[in-house]
Amino acid sequence: MIHVCALADMPRGSARRLPLVPPVSVFHTSDGEFYAIDDTCTHQDASLADGWLEGCEVECPLHAAIFDLRTGEPDGLLARKPVRTHRVLVEADSVYLVLSTPDVMADIGGDELEAAS
Amino acid sequence: MTAATPGVTPSPISTSLISTLAGSYYTDPAIFAREQEQIFERSWTCVALVADLAATGAFQKVQAGRESVVLVRGRDGALRAFLNVCRHRGAQLCTEETGQLRRNLQCPYHAWTYDLSGKLVAAPNLTSMPDVDRDRYGLLPVHIREWLGYVWICLGDDPPSFEEDVIGEVVTRLGDVGSIERYGVEDLALGRRIRYDVAANWKLIIENFMECYHCATIHPELTEVLPEFAEGYAAQFFVGHGAAFGGDIDGFTVDGSAGADKLPGVSDDQDRRYYAITIKPQVFVNLVPDHVIVHRMTPLAADRTIVECDWLFAPDVVASGRDLDVSVELFHRVNQQDFDACERTQPGMASRAYRDGGVLVPSEHHIGEFHSWLQERLA
Repeated sequence: MIHVCALADMPRGSARRLPLVPPVSVFHTSDGEFYAIDDTCTHQDASLADGWLEGCEVECPLHAAIFDLRTGEPDGLLARKPVRTHRVLVEADSVYLVLSTPDVMADIGGDELEAAS
Repeated sequence: MTAATPGVTPSPISTSLISTLAGSYYTDPAIFAREQEQIFERSWTCVALVADLAATGAFQKVQAGRESVVLVRGRDGALRAFLNVCRHRGAQLCTEETGQLRRNLQCPYHAWTYDLSGKLVAAPNLTSMPDVDRDRYGLLPVHIREWLGYVWICLGDDPPSFEEDVIGEVVTRLGDVGSIERYGVEDLALGRRIRYDVAANWKLIIENFMECYHCATIHPELTEVLPEFAEGYAAQFFVGHGAAFGGDIDGFTVDGSAGADKLPGVSDDQDRRYYAITIKPQVFVNLVPDHVIVHRMTPLAADRTIVECDWLFAPDVVASGRDLDVSVELFHRVNQQDFDACERTQPGMASRAYRDGGVLVPSEHHIGEFHSWLQERLA
């Protein structure tokens, strides 16, 4: 389990990119839900954390490929491969990420994660 | 005459005549380039109607001097102006004249993507370049002001005083700023816009607008409505003077019939009068009781100028769907008559007959002040 940030530092409508390998992004939707997916668009290298969060979808800032945060599935127009999804836990006023597969390398420590946004 | 040795300041030839600029001022690409650099890229210029950029993400591509500038309404409600150039490899960002951005401004070349406040928000592989400062590589901002319901921009690093250079022109002509404020120009709505592509130097268009020596010859409809124009003295010859409507004229219309109701703030002594103001270097404002006409010029070459003319009426007049043709037609004809005259004059500027210029008669002597203003800026 990776500490992402304090709950207060992630208002609704925001996203945080964690520089893991590969990078992962945590989203807090306008409806108050938390989701996490691999951050890199499967169409071209761009950060989905920089994209547009609407409902439980995120739109890539470069070419508007849309991914469903619940399933990681793309809309299929530009991006055809899904991104992996991960779990988010909110406990004791903090946001935590639980990676879905062990092959993701959490290669940096919590301090550096705090600095990432 | 070359660009390096501009002609002398207009000087008296006799009691009646003073000299104009030399012909080369209207034809020489080198002089035109200096005007672009030293006038249009340093002055406040009027480039758009604020109401055309009301919605978040609304954008317009405009020209200021030799620069393309994009105006965009941000998510915070602020209107911003940026040089229309991608910070990556210099491609023009915005290629359409006007429209609505969905999310961001994106370069069509490598997809560098800027938010509506100009910050770089995304680019291919940007996340693997953490040393790239997204603010530093944001779009380059241009100074911007709103006045009279219009967007004014200045490309200069250190813009001149808007109050002196722009509002000051209105005070010089009308005597005070309250006289124009009574028309409530910023609250008026666009009734009609006509774009004229004029094959003439921008200064010929300004000089023409400043004088009325030509009015009796080429403007039959206008002199019918404003009989004193037949005497050859333009409203701009005086300070605070509005040309009076003829006694049998009911409105500022092509046939003298009644126009719309007088704008609510217009005073009794402004009623039934036409006022004109030149805001150098590229704006003309025309005030009549029921509407306001604004001309904006964009010089594209020594012999080509775009003029956009807006007819602004009270919002309820525009919303009512009332036929504005009789009102619009009067100044549309004046515009066509004027621009035809300017286009007839442009070839003469290159003639050996005009190598040393021509002359200004007494009712045109105030044009000499424009020539002095120009030469001060080109010096």
